[in-house]
Amino acid sequence: MTNAENDIKSLNAEGISLKSVSLWQITWRRLFRRLSALVGMTILGILVFIALTAHWIAPYAYDDVLIGKEDVKARQAPCIHMFGCPKDQPQHIAGIDGNVRDEFSRLLYGARLSLMVGFSTVTFAIIIGTVLGAIAGYVGGWLDNLIMRFMDVLLAFPSLLLAIAIVTVLGPGLINALLAIGIVSIPAYARVVRASVLSVREMEYVSATRALGGDSFQILFRRIMPNALTPLIVQGTLGIASAILDAAALSFLGLGAQPPLPEWGSMLGAERNQVFTAPHLVFLPGIAIALTVLSFNLLGDGLRDALDPRLAHVS
Amino acid sequence: MKRNLLALLSLLVLASMVLAACGGGAATEAPAPEQPEQPAAPATEEPAPATEAPAMPEFEGKSLMAADCDSTGIIKGVEATGQYEVTFTLCQPDPAFLSKIAFSVYGIYPEEWLAATAGDEGRTSEGLEKPVGTGPYMVSEWNRGESITFTANPNYWGTPASADTLVFRWSTESAQRLLELQSGTVDAIDNVGPEDFETVSNDPNLKLMDRPALNVFYLAMTNTFAPFDNQDVRQAIAKGIDRQRIVDTFYPPGSEVASHFTPCAIPNGCAGDPWYDFDPEAARAQLAAAGYPDGFKTKIYYRDVVRGYLPQVSNVAQDIQAQLKENLNIDAEIVVMESGAFIEESSAGRLDGFYLLGWGADFPHVTNFLDYHFGAANPQFGNQSPTYTEVLAKAAQIADPAEAEPLYVEANNAIREYVPMIPVAHGGSGTAWRADVTNPQASPLSNEVFYVTDPGGRDVFVWMQNAEPISMFCADETDGESLRACEQVVEALYSYEVNGTAVEPALATGCEPNDTLDVWVCALREGVTFHDGTTFDANDVVATFTMGLDASSPLHKGNTNVFEYYDYLWGLMNKPAE
Repeated sequence: MTNAENDIKSLNAEGISLKSVSLWQITWRRLFRRLSALVGMTILGILVFIALTAHWIAPYAYDDVLIGKEDVKARQAPCIHMFGCPKDQPQHIAGIDGNVRDEFSRLLYGARLSLMVGFSTVTFAIIIGTVLGAIAGYVGGWLDNLIMRFMDVLLAFPSLLLAIAIVTVLGPGLINALLAIGIVSIPAYARVVRASVLSVREMEYVSATRALGGDSFQILFRRIMPNALTPLIVQGTLGIASAILDAAALSFLGLGAQPPLPEWGSMLGAERNQVFTAPHLVFLPGIAIALTVLSFNLLGDGLRDALDPRLAHVS
Repeated sequence: MKRNLLALLSLLVLASMVLAACGGGAATEAPAPEQPEQPAAPATEEPAPATEAPAMPEFEGKSLMAADCDSTGIIKGVEATGQYEVTFTLCQPDPAFLSKIAFSVYGIYPEEWLAATAGDEGRTSEGLEKPVGTGPYMVSEWNRGESITFTANPNYWGTPASADTLVFRWSTESAQRLLELQSGTVDAIDNVGPEDFETVSNDPNLKLMDRPALNVFYLAMTNTFAPFDNQDVRQAIAKGIDRQRIVDTFYPPGSEVASHFTPCAIPNGCAGDPWYDFDPEAARAQLAAAGYPDGFKTKIYYRDVVRGYLPQVSNVAQDIQAQLKENLNIDAEIVVMESGAFIEESSAGRLDGFYLLGWGADFPHVTNFLDYHFGAANPQFGNQSPTYTEVLAKAAQIADPAEAEPLYVEANNAIREYVPMIPVAHGGSGTAWRADVTNPQASPLSNEVFYVTDPGGRDVFVWMQNAEPISMFCADETDGESLRACEQVVEALYSYEVNGTAVEPALATGCEPNDTLDVWVCALREGVTFHDGTTFDANDVVATFTMGLDASSPLHKGNTNVFEYYDYLWGLMNKPAE
């Protein structure tokens, strides 16, 4: 006893706390130590802020046609007073789009759409994928075979191609595009969950719960599933990036968000012919998509490293 | 368990193989017996007299004659009244006869070739892809999806082609077309993007040609669907759309707001009162009085295809959407459709909202605009009103424009009153050419002919247009991109002057009407040979019109077998009862 107490005292003296530290706290700390993750989180923070406050910070509504209201032409170049644009002209930081709307406002509102697309599709895919993967892994046998072979079939198609096929059947539109991207990304999550379920299914603490009379539902969701959480979070964060990219691609092809919604992909697609005459209308939405995807990728990478105990010594 | 699974798997594999074998078998078997039949069946009927013809000194003229005027449209008969004379007998006077006969759809094909390429269900692929005509160019190769190559016809009766080789390419993106022109890989492009007009005219290496706006873009409604069945609703929408704003913002220079459906450059096109002025207050009041004070929900359909009448499709659709919302509180959802499906649905009157469509002149006559769209039989706007259909039918038979004018005033005013659609704009468009090409063109009818262009001494002239031709058997095509390709190969009795709309003799040296304009005698050009070496004579003309007009003829085979232009401009003979 006394020995132990002494040990603790000496440890305290060295400034090391024995207070229990949860996995999340460790992860958080590790995350903050990685520059790339920090950059990702910063960009994402700004995006979320823009998305939440777009209707306050945007100078115009996204569908506000300025013909007759201001002296502007379609596809006019950006006019920023700070950089020498005459003060008597109305300021448009990102120029005017092909339908005489303020491009900057549309870009801001676009952040809302893109984040919504990313989060909703991935949430949808995670819920369905988790249920399918958990059942497949826990029950096993022919059901496992059936579910996982179906997932293999889904994985066998290039995801964007499959999404296009689904949208073609459902009809174009933002909701249908979300559904299509959600369906396409289910197999990734189902696989991740199934793998973690398989790895812990036969462990002693699970057997113990079973011996104590816990029912399958309790075992699966209280004892086994928490182990699948970390890989799911990593997969989900990276998945948001690819979902946003897919949604932009579908909208570019005219299958996703329908006008006048300011989806970045559709804004880019609508003006692709003007790449030489009005480059700001093509590059700015493109940069916005790239930044968003980059931020989720950086954060996802950071999270993966931070959550991986084998990489603990690195940080 | 595992063995069962294996057995099941192998069964499945076997089953699929059997299926594949059967399916493939059916596909390969079916055409097999057809192939020998195809040439054989018509061969026994047709070439017999053809082989006799040169052997016998006397010319044996053929004829196509309807039993009576009830079983045909305008043309009652086409007769070879001499080796180089054809007589057209009409059921009603047709003042536009020469303008119509010059349309490239009525190009003349050799009789034997028509018989040899008439398949059982439709024209053979040889017939669809390598038409034989008398034109300055012959098709040498069509790489589907890539390009069409033509070679000059060494035996052409007129001025021989300047460039030995003509290549057609296509790209839907105006930016790419311009890029190819600037880099010199093509010699001329169609439909310069509205934003690029300035770039092209400022470039000393390029030449911009403005195409006169002989077209119309209209916002259509099908009046068999509520609330478009209410004339007040249609009138309210007509007043609630700022058409000037659309033309100012989205159309290139040379475009104008449509005061009438027909452009003013066409005689009698602008007869009657001009279209409603933009008046959102009055529009809202009228819409409210019609029972829609809060607007309604509907759709705007369009196809994402650039035409001279609609250079920026999606932008215009979005602006109309914004205007409907702003001026009339109408919520319109935008629906983009595939081009073929869109044309099929809209022309059958099955679209339950607005749709964006337009029309380019085939020949410069007011009937080409009004009669096609507002004839009693056209269901594309739903029910047509007799207030104008009857007047138009009467006016179409009068040759003198001055005499017909009061009728067109009446018809245009009735259309304005009934509002089957809203004419928006006559769109100017342009072609761009490398500066060293002689005779650059921008035909008002979009039928540029390239044998007169000399690409700065180069051997190859490359033309880039919006889209690939659908087929090159143009007797059964309506698409302008297809017709332009055919025009290089096939000639009609008359043709339109280069870069203009006036008609001039082509395969005929002249067609003379009788006093009542219902019999036209055409003297044909002698010494003309087709690309396959056969000699052109009156029987080829009869066979061509038999192929196009007579629905009961074995020659009446095309790409879709609809023969829309033969049907619409002349009316088919012996149509099967519906």
